Amino acid sequence: MTKRLQDIARRIGRPFYGNRRLIKYYWERTRRNKLAVFGLAFIAFLILLALIGPLLTLDPTSVNFEEKNLPPVGFATEKSVYNIETDEFTTTEVFGIWKHPLGTDSKGRDMLAMIVSGARISLLVGLIATGIALILGTIIGVLSAYLGGWADNVLMRFTDIMMTFPFFLLLVLIVFIFGPSLAFIVLVIGLTGWTGTARLIRSEALSLRTREFIIAAKALGASDSRVIFRHLIPNVISLIIVIATLSIPGVILAEAALSFIGLGDPTMASWGIILEAGQHSLDTSWWIAVEPGIMLFLTVLAFNFLGDGLRDAFDPKSNV
Amino acid sequence: MKKSWLRDYIIKRLFYSVIIAWGILTITFVLVRAGPTSPADKYLANIAASGQDVSQVIASVEARYGVDKPILEQYADYMVNLFHGNWGWSFSTSMPVTELIKSHWIYSFQLILLSSLFAAVLGILVGIYSAVKQYTRTDYIATFLSFIGVSIPNFWLGVMLILVFSVKLGLFKTYYDTTLPLFSLANLHALILPIITLGTGMLAGYVRYTRSAMLDNLRKGFVTTARAKGLPERTVIGKHVFRNALLPLVTIIMFDLGSIVFGGAYLTEIVFGIPGLGQISFNAIFANDYPVVIAVTLIGTLLVLLVNLVTDITYTYLDPRIRYD
Repeated sequence: MTKRLQDIARRIGRPFYGNRRLIKYYWERTRRNKLAVFGLAFIAFLILLALIGPLLTLDPTSVNFEEKNLPPVGFATEKSVYNIETDEFTTTEVFGIWKHPLGTDSKGRDMLAMIVSGARISLLVGLIATGIALILGTIIGVLSAYLGGWADNVLMRFTDIMMTFPFFLLLVLIVFIFGPSLAFIVLVIGLTGWTGTARLIRSEALSLRTREFIIAAKALGASDSRVIFRHLIPNVISLIIVIATLSIPGVILAEAALSFIGLGDPTMASWGIILEAGQHSLDTSWWIAVEPGIMLFLTVLAFNFLGDGLRDAFDPKSNV
Repeated sequence: MKKSWLRDYIIKRLFYSVIIAWGILTITFVLVRAGPTSPADKYLANIAASGQDVSQVIASVEARYGVDKPILEQYADYMVNLFHGNWGWSFSTSMPVTELIKSHWIYSFQLILLSSLFAAVLGILVGIYSAVKQYTRTDYIATFLSFIGVSIPNFWLGVMLILVFSVKLGLFKTYYDTTLPLFSLANLHALILPIITLGTGMLAGYVRYTRSAMLDNLRKGFVTTARAKGLPERTVIGKHVFRNALLPLVTIIMFDLGSIVFGGAYLTEIVFGIPGLGQISFNAIFANDYPVVIAVTLIGTLLVLLVNLVTDITYTYLDPRIRYD
C-alpha cells in the first residue's frame, strides 16, 4: 500500500522533482515579482512561528488576574480601581510592560503567546482543509472529464448544486447542528470547498484529453490509470498549486468568521476565537481585537501575493 | 435578430435551476431535521428547574410544531405547503415565515444595493484610471491598495471601523438604529460604516477586474485604428475600450451580487446588528427555528440562480456573437 502511494506521489511530483531546470525557471519568474517574494517570506516566517514559536513564548493558557488588560508596549490605558476603604474610584494610567510585549487579555493571558499558538491552529486549519478540498476536487474533476457521458453529467450537476449552496450558511448550519469541534470544522470546510477546483481541473483535463500526447499514450496501450496519473495530473499540477495557494486564505478566513460569530471550537484559541473575545471589550482593551485581525489580514495578503505571483510564473503567456 | 434558441435555452436553464433549488432545499431539510437539536431545547432549562417531566414537554412541543412525525412525512408536508405558498410557521418569533421575511428583506436589500453601487462606481472609475495610467505611481498605488482591500477580512474591518469611528471618535452609533426611516439621509449616515465594511472587498475586486479587462482591450487592433482615425483619447477609452471591457465586468459584478448575500452581507449584518435576512437566519439557526432557516436558504439560492441566468442572458445582448447550446 505505502509502496503504491509512494509510486503515485512520485508520478504526480515528477514534473517538479524530476526537472530541476523547470523549477529553476519557475523560481526565476516568481522571484521577479517582489510582492510574491514578500508573500513567500511571510508564509515561511509564519510556519516557523507555528513550529517553534510556542517553545519561546510564555504559556498561552496561564491566567494571571494581577496583570489583566495590560496594553501592548508603548501604549497606555486608563484603569479604574475601586477602593473599598475610601469608597471611591481612583483612575490610574497603565503602561505596557516588556514581559507582555503585545499586552494581555481580560484574564491576564499573554497576547503574544496566544497569537503564536493561534498561528499554529489557523495554519493547520488552512492547510488540512485545503488539502482535503484539493484532493476531492482533483479526483472529481479528472474523473468527470475522463469518464464523460452520464457520469460526467451526474458529477457536474452535483457540483452545480454544491456551488449554488450558500457556502457560509451551510457551514454555520452544519457546525451548529453537529457541534463546534475543530476537526469537524476542518472536515466540513474541506468537504464543501472542492467545487471550484473540480470545475477548473475538469475543463483543463477536457482540453488536455484531446491533445496528441494523450492520444499517443492511449494508442500505445497505456492503461486509464497510467494516462490519468502519468499524463493528466502532472499537467494540471501547476494549476492545482495556484488554486491551493489562493484558497488557503479563504479557508483560514472561514474558520475565523465561524469563530467570530460564536461557532468556533472553544478549546482551540485560533485567531478567530481571540478576535471574538476582543470585540466585546473594544472600549476598554482594543488590542485584543486588533492583534489577531492584523495577523489574519497579513496572512491572507501574503497568500494572495504568492498565489498571484505563482499564477503569472506558471502561465507562459503572461509577461511578468 | 430573432433569438429563438435563446427561449429554448432559458427554458432549459429554468428547468435546471428548479432541480438545483430542489436539491438544496432537500439537503437543507435533511440537515436541519436529522440533526440532534430540537425546537424544544430552549425550554429545557426552565422545565428542569420547575421539576416537570422533561420528556413529556419535549413531546408536546414537538407535536405542536409537527416535528414528531417521520421525517419523510414532514418532508412531504413541507413540499405540499410550499407549493401552496405556505412557507411554514416561525417557532421563535411566532409568526408566519412569509411575514417575517417581508418585514426584514428590505434591510438586506438596501445594504447590498448601496454597497454594490459604492463598490461598482468607484471600482470601475479607479480601474479605468489605473489601466490608462499603467506603470505610473498612481497605478502601483491603486494595485497595491486593491490587494489590501481584497485581503482584509470584512468582519474584522467592521470591528475596526466601529473601534475607530464609533468608540474612539464617537462619529457613529455602535449599533444600527432600526427606528430610522428607510432610504433617508439619517439612515444613509447610519449605513456608512456597514457599506464600507461590505463594499471594500468588492471595490478592490472591481478595481482589479476593470484594470485587467481594460488592459486586455487597450492592446487590440481596433484601438490603434480608432486612434489613427484621430479620435480624441476620451472617445477611444470611453467608447472603444471601456465598452469592450464591460462584458467580463458585468459577469463579475452580477456573480458578486449573488454570492455576497450569504458571505459578506451575512457577517456585516451580524457585526452591525442590521436586522436583515442574514441576521434573522443567524438567529433562527441558534433558536432551532427550522422553517426560517430553510426559507432563507431557499430564497438565497433562488436569488443566486436567477442572477446567474440574468447574467447569461444580458451577455447575449452585450455581445451578439455569443450563443449557448
